[in-house]
Amino acid sequence: MSVLELHNVGISRGDRPIWNGATFTIEPGTVTAVLGPNGSGKSTLLHAISGLLPIAQGELLVFGAKPHRGNSQVGYVAQTRVADATSTLTGRDYVGLGMDGVHYGWGRTKGKREAVAQALRQVGATGFADRPMHSLSGGQRQRIAFAHATVFKPTLLLLDEPLAALDIAAQAEIVDLINLLRVEQNMAIIVVAHDLNPLSGIVDQVVWIARRQVKSGSIDEVVNESVLSDLYGHPIEILVTPTGRRVIVGLEEEFAHPHPHGHDHSGEEGHQHFAELYEEGRQ
Amino acid sequence: MSLWQLLTSAFVLHAFYAITAVALAAGAVGYFVVLRRQAFAAHAIGHIGFAGAAGAILIGWSPLIGLLVFCVVAGVLVGVAGASLDDRDTVVGVTLTGALGLGVLFLSLYSGYANATYSILFGQVLGVSTSDIRTVALVSGLVLVSVVVVFRPLLFSSVDSQSAASRGISNQLMSVLFMTLLALTTVVAVQVVGVLLVFSLLVAPAAAAEALTSHPLRAVALSVGLALFSGWMGLFLAVWLGGPVSFWITALASLAYVMARLSDSLKSQRLHSARV
Repeated sequence: MSVLELHNVGISRGDRPIWNGATFTIEPGTVTAVLGPNGSGKSTLLHAISGLLPIAQGELLVFGAKPHRGNSQVGYVAQTRVADATSTLTGRDYVGLGMDGVHYGWGRTKGKREAVAQALRQVGATGFADRPMHSLSGGQRQRIAFAHATVFKPTLLLLDEPLAALDIAAQAEIVDLINLLRVEQNMAIIVVAHDLNPLSGIVDQVVWIARRQVKSGSIDEVVNESVLSDLYGHPIEILVTPTGRRVIVGLEEEFAHPHPHGHDHSGEEGHQHFAELYEEGRQ
Repeated sequence: MSLWQLLTSAFVLHAFYAITAVALAAGAVGYFVVLRRQAFAAHAIGHIGFAGAAGAILIGWSPLIGLLVFCVVAGVLVGVAGASLDDRDTVVGVTLTGALGLGVLFLSLYSGYANATYSILFGQVLGVSTSDIRTVALVSGLVLVSVVVVFRPLLFSSVDSQSAASRGISNQLMSVLFMTLLALTTVVAVQVVGVLLVFSLLVAPAAAAEALTSHPLRAVALSVGLALFSGWMGLFLAVWLGGPVSFWITALASLAYVMARLSDSLKSQRLHSARV
């Protein structure tokens, strides 16, 4: 069974369509990069998969069923976690919340200690797990966040801009970690990103969202001049460096002002915090 | 009368029971006040309750009923409106001034003896009746049991609302629950320290605890411990040396907070110099 199946999926907010015509599948043990300009609706895709946002048309199946909130097969690492910078909680306690934070009452969760220790070990965070979160570096916090999102053993992991606000060395470490989770846990991983290059070595599939359209396929199928020119509606040039990096020319507008702190300034097409979406969905 | 006779007199014992019940609830709820950075809400709820109490006195009811109604309604309103808003403080502030305006009106209409309002402002724990104690114990017990039941989801929602939402927790529900617990705790804390000094039991012990430990359960235990210590010692010092009980409680709780912050900054300085 595929992890994810989309057939001609469209998403709207109110009457405004955000994007339409997404058709692709995601298999276990693969990495899918979701790319596109700010505000094109990349995070929206993750929200729809998590069941926080209803789809307007088409069919979206997560493990063969309609998406629903609180799916224990889906782990999610949000774009900016407000708690991080100020939290006095230790990484270990935060990861523990990923395990039993949804449980009411006082009962102990069996095997929690081992599961937390294992999740921390998996992401290489054991060494700093007992320090308060506010004292950690960006890369260390990202590792803790990965452990928090994987401690309950989901098989699909959604990462919203996991490389934002990290220096190049830390980015490379996180990319290695994503690959490790894919290989060792056979997880399907969806990564929303600004830049394909840091991820290009581990990506199996690219989903590119722009101007309300969604194109998907392998890197070569999507990141080429004819597909991107078509998607953006104006000529795009792609220069390939000797090491295989792709430099996309013609998108300077979109990429001239990356938002290093991960805030998606997408007022037009509507980025909202996960938590707000959730409440909207309930009403 | 000897000190021992004073300490075992009925009104001091009543105060002791009330303080114990209040400190238990306030210490526990206070941890979440600090964690959620909602100290302003904690401060405001007490003042909003003051308007309710003044209104209740005006129509000849027990101020406790007015406190309860105003605090809980304001708590739910703030909980609903401020769950995900960035301008939560504005919501709290507008609710606060609206209620205080009403309080001024009620006070101006009331021509009776002002002692009742004075005790709401500054607390009058040495004057609590047996039925007051019953109410305080009941409400505190309810708050404590609720905190135990919702501890983990509330902690999760307070620490990382986005991840909590993705796992199926309603942050709105948590926000309303928290504000209701805060309102109930405020109502009982007002019996001891009054609306103006509610911070001393609701925020100071928890803030001190948070500076001293990063583990949630340890922080709650420490916060409750410090609230109990400030309450009991405050009562003892007031009986022994004189002065209002709420003054001593406030002084001790504030002192605990200052000491905790000092010890925390000394610790991090030492860590820093050890690293260099």
